[in-house]
Amino acid sequence: MSFLEMENVSVGFGLEGFRTEVLRDASLSVEENEFIAVIGFSGSGKSTLVSMLTGLLRPDKGVIKLKGKEITRPGPHLGIVFQNYSLLPWLSVYGNIELAAKKVFPEYSKAQRKEHIERYIEMVSLTPARDKKPGELSGGMRQRVSLARTLCMQPEVLIMDEPLSALDALTRANLQDELVRIWEEDKRTVVMITNDVDEAVLLADRIVPLTMGPAATLAESFPVTLPRPRDRTSLNTNPEFKKLRNEIIHFMTAMNKEAKMLRVDRGLSMPDVKPFDFTAA
Amino acid sequence: MKRIIVNTAAALALSLSPAYADLDLEKDELKFGFIKLTDCAPLVIAKEKGFFEDEGIQAEVIAQPNWKTLLDNVINGNLDGAHMLSGQPIAATIGIGTQANVITAFTMDLNGNGITVSNSIWEEMQYNDPALDTPTPKHPISADSLKPIVKEKLDAGEKLQMGMVFPVSTHNYELRYWLAASGINPGMYTESDTGGRTDAEVELSVTPPPMMPTVLEAGNIQGYCVGEPWNQQAVVKGIGVPVTTNYDIWKNNPEKVFGVTQEWSDANPNTHVAVVKALIRAGKWLDEKDASGNFVNREEAVRILSQPNYVGADYDVIKSSMTGSFTFQKSDVRSMPEFNVFFDDYATFPWYSDGIWFLTQMRRWGQINEAKSPTWYLETVMKVYKPDIYLHAAKLLLEEGLIEKSEVPWDSDGFKPATDEFIDGVVYDAHDPIGYLNSHKIGNKDPAGLTAN
Amino acid sequence: MKFKILKALDVAGLQVFDPVVRLICGENPPEQFRKILLFIGIPIITFLIFIGIWTYLAPRHTTKAGEVPTPGVVKNAADGIWVFHVRENQKAEDFLLEGPAREKALAGVQARIAELTPLASAARTKLGELETASKSQIDQQVGPLQEKYNALRKQTRADEKAREEALIAQADSLPIGDAKARDAFLAKVSEHEVKSGTEKQALKDFKSTIDAAYADKFPEMESVRIQYNAYEEELQYLSKRLDYLTEGNQSVKISEGQSELVDLQSAFLTAEGGKATLKAAEKVLKQEESIARIAESSYSRPWTFPRQIVRSVACVFVGFFIGSAIAIPLGVLCGISRVFMAALTPLIALFKPVSPIVWLPIVFIIVGGFISDPETAFVHPAFLSSAITVALCSLWPTLVNTALGVASVEKDHINVARVLRLGFFSRLFKIVLPSALPLIFAGLRISLGVGWMVLIAAELLCSSEGIGKFVWDMFNNGSSQTFAQMFVVVFVVGVIGLLLDRIMIVLQRSVSFDGAPTAI
Repeated sequence: MSFLEMENVSVGFGLEGFRTEVLRDASLSVEENEFIAVIGFSGSGKSTLVSMLTGLLRPDKGVIKLKGKEITRPGPHLGIVFQNYSLLPWLSVYGNIELAAKKVFPEYSKAQRKEHIERYIEMVSLTPARDKKPGELSGGMRQRVSLARTLCMQPEVLIMDEPLSALDALTRANLQDELVRIWEEDKRTVVMITNDVDEAVLLADRIVPLTMGPAATLAESFPVTLPRPRDRTSLNTNPEFKKLRNEIIHFMTAMNKEAKMLRVDRGLSMPDVKPFDFTAA
Repeated sequence: MKRIIVNTAAALALSLSPAYADLDLEKDELKFGFIKLTDCAPLVIAKEKGFFEDEGIQAEVIAQPNWKTLLDNVINGNLDGAHMLSGQPIAATIGIGTQANVITAFTMDLNGNGITVSNSIWEEMQYNDPALDTPTPKHPISADSLKPIVKEKLDAGEKLQMGMVFPVSTHNYELRYWLAASGINPGMYTESDTGGRTDAEVELSVTPPPMMPTVLEAGNIQGYCVGEPWNQQAVVKGIGVPVTTNYDIWKNNPEKVFGVTQEWSDANPNTHVAVVKALIRAGKWLDEKDASGNFVNREEAVRILSQPNYVGADYDVIKSSMTGSFTFQKSDVRSMPEFNVFFDDYATFPWYSDGIWFLTQMRRWGQINEAKSPTWYLETVMKVYKPDIYLHAAKLLLEEGLIEKSEVPWDSDGFKPATDEFIDGVVYDAHDPIGYLNSHKIGNKDPAGLTAN
Repeated sequence: MKFKILKALDVAGLQVFDPVVRLICGENPPEQFRKILLFIGIPIITFLIFIGIWTYLAPRHTTKAGEVPTPGVVKNAADGIWVFHVRENQKAEDFLLEGPAREKALAGVQARIAELTPLASAARTKLGELETASKSQIDQQVGPLQEKYNALRKQTRADEKAREEALIAQADSLPIGDAKARDAFLAKVSEHEVKSGTEKQALKDFKSTIDAAYADKFPEMESVRIQYNAYEEELQYLSKRLDYLTEGNQSVKISEGQSELVDLQSAFLTAEGGKATLKAAEKVLKQEESIARIAESSYSRPWTFPRQIVRSVACVFVGFFIGSAIAIPLGVLCGISRVFMAALTPLIALFKPVSPIVWLPIVFIIVGGFISDPETAFVHPAFLSSAITVALCSLWPTLVNTALGVASVEKDHINVARVLRLGFFSRLFKIVLPSALPLIFAGLRISLGVGWMVLIAAELLCSSEGIGKFVWDMFNNGSSQTFAQMFVVVFVVGVIGLLLDRIMIVLQRSVSFDGAPTAI
């Protein structure tokens, strides 16, 4: 049995009759300390997948298990890095991380906690910005704070929801390197959602495409066998890299066409429903 | 006619306890309320001239926004006592409006009100009675010349509107008296009509004194009855003409009293006497005259009253009624030394007969909605008017040499002699309230021979 | 340094002074001058134009109720209010003066009285002369007019009567049933009525010229009168001061009481016989008590406007705090619980639009029920009632904003709380409240503004000492100053309202983390 196991999971939103199925029969299994990248087009249900993996959302059908135990609710052991950072704007960098550290390691003494927090700030190279508020930081820096906050909880799984998609290309590259470094340093099971094939190939051990929604599902995975450490500059000329990349892109575009055709065939426009979050309140 | 038999000697028997003679104050910091009218003068003077201090009282004299709030503040204890309309303690005691045992041992002044009509009504009155169309028409002016105007309005489906200050105010009763004396029905109060407009030929409404000139000018009312300085204001501003004063309606009628609650008086008997002492001295000071009969202290009093925290009106406006004259029109300034009486003619004594007159008016116009026996009148007034407290205070003042023996009606039975000094000449004998009620054409009449029930 | 000041100005919402600071620091002067002109110069010019229009229009609008005061008159009224305050403070001070300070003050007062008395009597004489002169001038003017009027009126009435008689005579001989003749007669009667109307109007017009003669103003007399009144008022004040520096003075009273006490004590020492000794002892004790009372006493100062302002501000804050203490917790509950929100919505909708004038009597009765004896009560019931009325009227914006702020906490922030498995209270205090804070403060700011407006009406109605009471008292005074005093109140209320708003802006900015602009 795998470390993280998702079996035939289906989930949908809306009332009966207007129901939109977002995921159907999606299955995934992740080994311990494996780095998985889930790749998909926007709107294919990536965020829903993240919500379920972190327990923020319960599936309608199927089960998700961590170390053989069903995930029923979120918790610090399911570390999530949100797409839009989700930092508390009234707290400083230190304050944001402290909030998590305090909750997860209540037994720490003050000095221990301080040391712990500062270690993670250091890890994401934000020591100079320690007392700044999120509003005073750039997007990349904010995402690093978010990462540090999640890492400091020392979660069993790290789930990242398009962590770098809101960043410009240079910052993005920079952070990708950083992510690799951190992951090497602090080995964990990672599920990263992304829409960037290069990124996926660069970082992941295995790439799982998410088929086009609605009723998306997880397709057969592409193992990435490129040796680590992977160097982004030389990778571009690496034939294996190119091949894998092309395969994935081909698979994705084909899927996209098929989905489009499907829509035309059906000649139906989808009801304009916005997902409603029952979990919030 | 059944006459009230009063055991006067028993009612007013003085038994000066030694504690009274010493006046051990139960309370020495007192708050008194007043309404911004010139007849609050005794309270203000007693404070400003140090009469309260002489009694060991630290007094605060606080303006109140209206008669209702003033009464409420006395009842709920925010104020120790206040300048009140004569009708207020009586009405409170018998439960017209707010029910509470409010008593008085001191009458603050006599007269002091006037009836003002708008310029156009005055012109029509002059037209109806050419004798009025001179710079100085003959007084008293009755409502006879107003009657055709009322008729004309009624024919046109309208009613003349007039203002007074409070349902149980002297102003209400005086205005009604003046109108009814000329055969104009001012309307009756009934159980369902607390506005007192049933059968009215002229509708009366409550308007706060300071609003009177403004409302008159705006045309919402065509006349009003109010205390000073609001009649003189109308003259100064040229928006109305005072046609008569209440001195002409009833010579030397009681106007304001100093009211406290029965509970307060019971808890602070010595303080109450001390307060009355100071007030009597203030009244005497206000009415002091020189050899030629001119007031000697009134100008100073007006100066004090015109301070913004007291009456606050312009010195010249207050002066025009308080220094022995009254301005009816710009062309008509008359000497009226008795327009405000603060002490002379036993003015400050709490006469039972005064209280009974107000009770008869409340019955006459239906505020008391059932016939009462003569005994009830007497018993009620004795609950409210406390001449014994007044006499205690007066006795102490006499001992201290601050008043003359002749200035207090020591041996009175609490009743003024019967008088016909009303505008219509009807005789008022307080011993016979039912007979008095029945001698009026307009208003409730009660069967004689009722006994206490 | 410069940036610190600029930052402080920014937080305080006083960015208009930004260019001034920059100018002082010598940063690009022409640009700063332009900005100063724009942001400071133009408002000042607008205000001056406003004053100008006011000065121009005020004297052109007179009603019988009074004249619209010009800025100058308003300034005088403000001075008058201030002088009254200063004088009352002086009296209170005089009451407590002792020793050489008292004597010095006394000498000063006496000197001023000696100086003023002849001036006042001279003014009085002058005023008397002028009054006689003006009266005879009016009489001269009015006398012939009045005679003319009397004659005219007599003539008019006689004419009218004659015409009427002629008509009656004519009507007597009118053939019965002759429609034509009757029509002609009808026309004549109507002609007569029209004529009577015109004559009546002519009489009225004539009379108004007489009234106009009475209304003639004598500027010299008026200015002497004002001067005379000013002298007399000051003399009145000085005589009161004299009293508080001599007989009415605390120290004088105490020393008098003490000398009496010495007498009583010696009488007690030598008293013989049980009864007499007891009585003497009682007298000594009573005298001691009375001295102690005098030593504790103070001049009972009337509520002057500045003191009333302070009390109003205190009252609005008390009411505001009561209101906030209710509104914020309720708002939080409404924000986090749909059930609670649904339960409260009808009540909120029902009570929100109720005017302070309706609340006040209800509050007054309820508060009165709790405070049986106002003497011993911790706060004056009228004060408390006004404060509660302020609270009731002003809590709604805070309540609604808090509910909104709490309900609209970002979902991501809630997710953070869920991931961290925060308990109810840490979720509330660490996530929900901080996140709702800017909206809560925006609500509080509106509440304080509403409270300030409501307060004046509340004070006016329940006669709680404060600006509202001042308004009502001055209105009741009906003096020539009344209107000008109302204008003073307008400015005072406006300026204090502005300051309160500024305070709230500063608070709001200090808690706002999103850098959202605050409405000015």
